[in-house]
Amino acid sequence: MRKFLAVVKHEYKKIVLKWAFLIGTFLFPVLGVGFGVVPAIIFSLRGEATRIVVVDKSGSVLPRLKENLTAEKIETKAEEAAKKTLKDINASQQEKMKRGAEQSAAGFVFVDYEVGAKSSEQIRSDLVSEIKAGEIDAYLLIPADVAAENAPFEFRSRKGGDFVANDTLKDALNQAVRSQRLTDAKISETQVKSLSRDIEFDAKGLDEKGEETNSDMLMGASFVIGLMIYITLAIYGQVILGAVVEEKDTRIAEILFSSARPFELMLGKLVGVGLAGLTQLGIWTTSLGILVGYLSTQGDGSEIFKRLPHITPLMIGYFLLFFLLGYFIFASVYALIGSMVTTVQEGGQFALPVTLILVTGYLFSFMVIRDPNSSVSFWVSIVPFLAPITMPVRILAEMPPFWQIALAIGLNALAIVGLIWLAARVYRVGMLMYGKRATIPEVWKWIRQA
Amino acid sequence: MSEKKASVKVRNVTKYFGDFTAVEDLSFDVRPGRIFGFLGPNGAGKTTTIRMIVGITAPDEGTIEYAFSNDAGREGHRDAGMQPQVNKGRGVAASPRLRVSNFQDRIGYLPEERGLYKKMKIVDQLRYFAALKDVPRALADKRIDFWLERMDLAKWKTKKTNELSKGMQQKIQFISTVLHDPDLLILDEPFSGLDPINVEFMIEVMAEFKSKDKTIIFSTHLMETAERLCNDILLINKAKKVVSGSLREVKASYSKNLIALRVAGGDEVLGDKSLVENVVEHSDEKILQLVPDADSQLLLKRLIDSGAEISKFERVEPSLNDIFIEQVGN
Repeated sequence: MRKFLAVVKHEYKKIVLKWAFLIGTFLFPVLGVGFGVVPAIIFSLRGEATRIVVVDKSGSVLPRLKENLTAEKIETKAEEAAKKTLKDINASQQEKMKRGAEQSAAGFVFVDYEVGAKSSEQIRSDLVSEIKAGEIDAYLLIPADVAAENAPFEFRSRKGGDFVANDTLKDALNQAVRSQRLTDAKISETQVKSLSRDIEFDAKGLDEKGEETNSDMLMGASFVIGLMIYITLAIYGQVILGAVVEEKDTRIAEILFSSARPFELMLGKLVGVGLAGLTQLGIWTTSLGILVGYLSTQGDGSEIFKRLPHITPLMIGYFLLFFLLGYFIFASVYALIGSMVTTVQEGGQFALPVTLILVTGYLFSFMVIRDPNSSVSFWVSIVPFLAPITMPVRILAEMPPFWQIALAIGLNALAIVGLIWLAARVYRVGMLMYGKRATIPEVWKWIRQA
Repeated sequence: MSEKKASVKVRNVTKYFGDFTAVEDLSFDVRPGRIFGFLGPNGAGKTTTIRMIVGITAPDEGTIEYAFSNDAGREGHRDAGMQPQVNKGRGVAASPRLRVSNFQDRIGYLPEERGLYKKMKIVDQLRYFAALKDVPRALADKRIDFWLERMDLAKWKTKKTNELSKGMQQKIQFISTVLHDPDLLILDEPFSGLDPINVEFMIEVMAEFKSKDKTIIFSTHLMETAERLCNDILLINKAKKVVSGSLREVKASYSKNLIALRVAGGDEVLGDKSLVENVVEHSDEKILQLVPDADSQLLLKRLIDSGAEISKFERVEPSLNDIFIEQVGN
């Protein structure tokens, strides 16, 4: 037992007292936030305004289009859209929308163009050559009869990939044409507005006690939990693989085996590395909890945090427990592979199917979020290998009956016992086989003979 | 003053790897307080046998018995006072699996394939290896300092392995095998990769361990070194024992009854066919082949009686090298 603890301590310190651990622990949340925030920042950066020529053969659409592209109009629209999802909009959100609207509106500069008596062909070639010369960026041809079916609205732009600006234009144009058609059909706009108003869709989940839960942010939160468990399992599995291969490759195994039992050594390694993983995950969940707690007391953004699913200490306990179950399942497989191979690279190839199982578990978690009570969700959150990722997600999405959680824990614990038994047999022989990678039949023989 | 510390009895040990027999029906004794030379060509089964003695693997057949002294000299160790232990093969009910690591704490093993953690500080690895031998931390630290000082490596204590030269790493490896003050030292090719100065140093350390009544098993290719150090030898070839016993006995048994002689006169004695079978003239001496069972003392007496002037009279014993080549060469 003392020797086992010595191994645990050694493996734990080997990981935790390293810069890589410290950096990883603090860098991961920064990266996570970065992945969320950076694309949003990049998309909000607007390029230069699009200089556009609009040739309006109908004569009535262009003024409406110009009006729709003013800052006030875009803001009103955004506000209406926001009201559908958020009940009340606070000042800072209002400010943000206003800024966005101004940016969108400034995205277009209308350039005058003398049509005169030119034919369509002539206009087209004129405008194309202007685009080529770089004098304008785009042109839009509005047909004479906007009410006709298949009436072509020809839009050509040398910034065809700027989908944000293109969408804004398309929306504005659509709206302009629609209201023109209505006017042509003698229907007042207020009438249309009141008739085509969206319904108020009040969507809330029910938990097992029949109490209402908010499902809006569920997807995000489950995604984060699933990702956290998936990443730590993948990282610490690799750590195990690397450590086992190192001891085999440097022949340290021989010294270790002359001092302690292989089983003690292997299990000590799994436990030590697992504790390091638990430390890291613990730091993350605690700091995330503190962060969420702090932000929900602040004015700004409180609305969003109130809408986060309610996470109880019991849930956090389950997350850590299922992380441990998953860790021991995957780590024992990685240890088994590590003692079969001669280099980490070789081990990586062998571990690919295991990594795929891990990824599968992660992918299934999306399905579990959508339908936590389906029979597929039930099975994937119970079976070993998948459950360590899918069950925590399911617990967050909707707390399943306790017997299902207990069944998942039991099945996975059984799988761990079996896998460690297998891994220990392979480890004992494999660690002393130098030079070449063991074949599957050889490994099978070790398992049977040992 | 102190009793002899450790002995090993290997009895009918066989080890298979699949269809290949690595060690076949091997029996020998390692006597306490002596240096035991384990000789044999590459692939003869030396490392396999050593791994079984160290308890890394178990024999398929046969037993290995250990006897360690109940020794109060191992102060500070938790295992003082141990019963004899057995590393038996599979299927033996009494196999004390749970206590295997117990006897391992009395053995210091220097494997042929050396290994240290590349990116770990020297002191940290030595502490870890000591902890695995169940040495209390304070005692381990004391011994680490002592040995690093003695090996002239004190200033490398907090350096990492990959900053050290090969020779230094070898010495660190040796330190790791003696930190728990083992009663039985098993050194697999301890001199390979060492420069002559360090070979001498290692020999000195081994002699010192012997003077403390520790038992040493070592394997080597260097027959001169073996001849110099060993009390007992075992030569194996192709998984089987070829020769074993004390160095003296072995040499005597391989003696061909040859005498190197430098003499003036005494020709009629040398011509006695009931005593001397054959004489080979060398530049300044003769090599006599005596008849089997002839008494060399009688020859010497008759030479003196005949009034011959003897400047050299020596029984020619085969060197270990000769025995090795004769036994293994074909």
